[in-house]
Amino acid sequence: MRKRFLIGLGAVLLAGTAIAVGSRVTSAQQPAPPAGTAVTLTRADSVRLEGPRQPIFFRHDVHAGQLKMQCQYCHYSVSYSSEPGIPSMQTCMGCHMYVSGSTPTNKAEIRKLTTAWGKKQPVQWIRIHELARHVHFPHSRHIFALGPDACATCHGNIARMPQVYKVNNVNNMGFCITCHIERKVTRDCSTCHY
Amino acid sequence: MADEAETQGVDRRQFLKVIGVSGAGAAVLSGCTTERVAKLVPYMVQSEDQVPGVPTWYASTCAECSSGCGVYVKTREGRPIKLEGNPDHPTNAGSLCSRGQAGLQSLYNPDRIKGPMARNAKGEFDLIKWDDAIARLAAKLSSAGGKVAAINGYGASTFSTFLADYVTALGGTTVAYEPFGREAERTANDRTWGKAELASYDFGAARHIVSFGADFLETWGPVVEQQRGFAASHGFHDGTMARMVFVGPRMSLTAANADEWLNVPAGSEALVALAMAQVVASRKGSPLAASLASYTPDAVAKDTGLTAAQITALAEAFAAASPSLAIAGGIPAQHRGAIELCQAVNLLNEAAGNIGRTVLFGTTVGGSDGYASMVSLFDKMGQGSVQVVLVHDANPLYAMPKDGKFAAAFAKVPFKVSTAAIIDETAAQCDLILPSLHALERWDDLHTRAGVTGLMQPVVQPVFQGMHFGDVLLKAAKTIAGPVAKFNDASFEARLKSAWQKVAAEQKAGDFDEFWRMALGRGGLFAPMAPAPQFPASKGAVSYTKPTFDGTGDYVFLPYPSSMYHDGRGTNKPWLLENPDPITKITWQSWVEMHPDTAAKIDVREGEIVELHSPHGMIRSQVYIYAGIRPDTMAMPLGLGHTAYGRYAKDRGVNALDLLGAADGQGFLPYVSTRVSVTRTEDYRKVARVDGMPRQLGRGIVQSMALMYAAKGMTPEEAYKAGGRAPVEENTELEQKAIEGWHDAQLENTKVGNYTGDHPKWGMAVDLSRCTGCSACVTACYAENNIPTVGEEQVFRRREMSWLRIERYWEGGEANEPLGVRFAPVMCQHCNNAPCEPVCPVYASYHTVDGLNGQVYNRCVGTRYCSNNCPFKVRYFNWLKYNDVAWPEPLNLQLNPDVTVRARGVMEKCTFCVQRIRAVQNTARIEGRDFKDGEIMTACAQACPSGAISFGNINDPAAKVVQWKKDPRGYVMLEGTNVQSSVTYLAKVLHDAPVAGRGES
Repeated sequence: MRKRFLIGLGAVLLAGTAIAVGSRVTSAQQPAPPAGTAVTLTRADSVRLEGPRQPIFFRHDVHAGQLKMQCQYCHYSVSYSSEPGIPSMQTCMGCHMYVSGSTPTNKAEIRKLTTAWGKKQPVQWIRIHELARHVHFPHSRHIFALGPDACATCHGNIARMPQVYKVNNVNNMGFCITCHIERKVTRDCSTCHY
Repeated sequence: MADEAETQGVDRRQFLKVIGVSGAGAAVLSGCTTERVAKLVPYMVQSEDQVPGVPTWYASTCAECSSGCGVYVKTREGRPIKLEGNPDHPTNAGSLCSRGQAGLQSLYNPDRIKGPMARNAKGEFDLIKWDDAIARLAAKLSSAGGKVAAINGYGASTFSTFLADYVTALGGTTVAYEPFGREAERTANDRTWGKAELASYDFGAARHIVSFGADFLETWGPVVEQQRGFAASHGFHDGTMARMVFVGPRMSLTAANADEWLNVPAGSEALVALAMAQVVASRKGSPLAASLASYTPDAVAKDTGLTAAQITALAEAFAAASPSLAIAGGIPAQHRGAIELCQAVNLLNEAAGNIGRTVLFGTTVGGSDGYASMVSLFDKMGQGSVQVVLVHDANPLYAMPKDGKFAAAFAKVPFKVSTAAIIDETAAQCDLILPSLHALERWDDLHTRAGVTGLMQPVVQPVFQGMHFGDVLLKAAKTIAGPVAKFNDASFEARLKSAWQKVAAEQKAGDFDEFWRMALGRGGLFAPMAPAPQFPASKGAVSYTKPTFDGTGDYVFLPYPSSMYHDGRGTNKPWLLENPDPITKITWQSWVEMHPDTAAKIDVREGEIVELHSPHGMIRSQVYIYAGIRPDTMAMPLGLGHTAYGRYAKDRGVNALDLLGAADGQGFLPYVSTRVSVTRTEDYRKVARVDGMPRQLGRGIVQSMALMYAAKGMTPEEAYKAGGRAPVEENTELEQKAIEGWHDAQLENTKVGNYTGDHPKWGMAVDLSRCTGCSACVTACYAENNIPTVGEEQVFRRREMSWLRIERYWEGGEANEPLGVRFAPVMCQHCNNAPCEPVCPVYASYHTVDGLNGQVYNRCVGTRYCSNNCPFKVRYFNWLKYNDVAWPEPLNLQLNPDVTVRARGVMEKCTFCVQRIRAVQNTARIEGRDFKDGEIMTACAQACPSGAISFGNINDPAAKVVQWKKDPRGYVMLEGTNVQSSVTYLAKVLHDAPVAGRGES
């Protein structure tokens, strides 16, 4: 845990100086800001962004885009488990014990996290991608085949999303099968359905 | 999908904090929509050893019976979901019986109480706080003035020692109680050799086994170990196999696995043993011969119903085998002559020179105080000389006959405490209930054999607000102080560790922490068995007196322990209720067994309700007509007829103990000690049987062959012809041509698309000469595959869901042929020419590239054509919303997240545990290697105590399953249907001729 925290803190410090102030984006289209930067958004903006509002306005575009944190830093079990793993509150606090945000919105949202941590109450995130229960999708096997940056194949470019939304309907079997046919891998039903 | 079930499958209340991220828990097969809002709840602090989606295994010990088998607990996201045997444990070596596996259903039992309860002024139970409960206990213990008694059903352990010390310090007494306590054997061993201890038996080494009533494959002794040994010796191997003979009035599962069943009247088994001992002793010139001189086969023949020639032949075969093994004991032989019987068998073993070879002493530990101690304790209660009674892990008011008026004596105790987690008959009469923790929730140990102690560790947060009774007593000690002030450990865990520090010192372990960690990881301390080398010669002979029976009825009443319910503790688990009795195939009910001749005489048919009257009581139950019982005997399974103990057990069936007298017969409860009379009633109740046709009718489903042919390496068909029987009907030339053409056409279709390239091909082999029909595989299948239990009403409609069932067929039994039984586990045969596949209109039933007969639940629309076309009846239709009723919370926490829970309207079936195959394939691929043979194991093969099932890739010539399939005994079921099944059965091997035969009668 400690090691992971140090790596994360390092990543934050390296990139932390480059907070750019972009134009305010209000459309749901979310045009991409220049690489390595992120737009400044307030909590109120999250209403207009695509995807469900989360209890904390967690910015994947800041963490994965601007700070270039690896997906697997938080989604730690994706390479060896069927489940990608949702970061524990402790993982968040590893950095946010020290990083309290620069803008009022950031400060307010991070305070929500620290308050929840203090009350020992986990944040209940709204789930965006959920497979039907009769489908078994081993994340690990796909990361193994497609590489550690393959997340975008299904989830879209999360690093550009201030608020995560569903780019592909992962519950549509055609979406899975198209890829499996293209890559000439198994299409056997019992690969996923059992 | 037809069904839009909304249940979430996973209890999101208590467990959430532990489970954390488990969005993908095993939930109902919901539709294809995800419109509902699902939450992702992270852990606060990630546990180091829990990764979502990856099972974590812990070593622990099974506490479902006194065998104390080692278990591996498979947990997912903090929930135990399956119990498997610990391969390192000397008792069970990796396998586990049905009762052990069903331990999960006592962990997650929906009837566990939510916290401590106290009786209020109105006589009802109120939930109270733990502090309050402990304060009440402490107050009563302080003021009891030493008049404290404890009844402890838990085996030898740190806890039991602690409880006894604690009660002694308070001035009271503790009785260690186990309903099936084997007191008669202890007494007999004391009388024979001056050693009041139990023996261990090496079934694996024995070449000739004779059991006098001991049901060693069901409830008598460490059954998993005994079954493994029995399969090793009695299973056909290297051209030979051991012989087994069963002597007793009823054909139990154990007797059904014997080569011969000699149905002597209850109480006369000892005569057979004595006569055998006499013959063996005189043949071997043993000094015992003189004292046994009066028990010649001729002298005993009349009372046993056998001929002298039969007994002599049996004795000579027994003497000729080296080593041999005779055993006695168990409930079906616990009549008033049980001690004499065990003594007689001791002499037989000694005469045959088995002591120290197959009968091993110096290995067992502990043991209960016996029935007599319980009776005297209840006498004390009745006299008012007990102020406080503590009942731990025992249910005496159920397990002791009502005739003894024990409940009235119990009621005279002013303050009664039970630690039952589910309110059972005893707890219902108590004033305070302090629900204890399940074995998977607590720190504990269990000392089962010299050098073998199993450890338990908490692998799950307590499901309800229970507390280890050790912790309760330690907390109470702080209040009571005085004599118990010395029990000042911080917690029971600390006490356990300090006890183990002594063990570590004995083992000369340097660092205790290291020793403790290793012991926990391994599951305990397992030293190899070291039997006592020196043994005293036996003292004197046996004086046989005919055991007496209460009453004057026409029939001897034989209550026998069920292999599922044991002494009644299994009856609250739906898996054990639904898993049919291996012999009668009856589920969810109790029944009276009577011989067909008896039934004809009193004019009753199956299902008719009769009244059985004994001097001690009366019970009503339906009739099951069974040829495997003497016409002068009626039998009934024990373990049912609870008046409390949760929704599954309460008011289910009748309690056979109601017919028994409670009088202590020389230190034990004589179960077989009454005669009953039968009266008919006008009532009828359908028997919830799951078997179909009782006989094979020449279909060759469960095949067998004689040893002489098997030893020559013949196939079952060659053996059949060599046996001079009518030739098997063969296909005409035209039919043969049609079959071949069709098969080739089928193969043509498999050379396209996905089906090209190298794939493994899964196959299975089942050795029927090892299978005993115990049904552990069935429970394993229920646990692994989220199979719902359907209940009695649905079984009436033949809607049971067991993907894997044990077929039981009767052989002989008529025209002077001995009655025989054939067992075979029948699961989906994964036909390569499967009749179910072409009839599915939606391709839900199809063939996978790796040779499985796949079933895609989300495609299935429920036409049931596939089931109609299946020659094996292994496809099961989900008729109702079983998923809503089969797992009331928190039973649903046991569900395997890797297997879809099927909804109504879906056909389901054995998948060869495809989830296990895929899991290993995924791991192997990520690790950049091929899976190894034996790495992929189906749940049934894993659980089998006999090691009768082998599974693997049949394209791998080195695989074990391929070696098994090459065995000449191999055959496929219903070969004439040309379904090309993937399961090979190895024919059962029978001895060429019986040693004792049928006699003249």
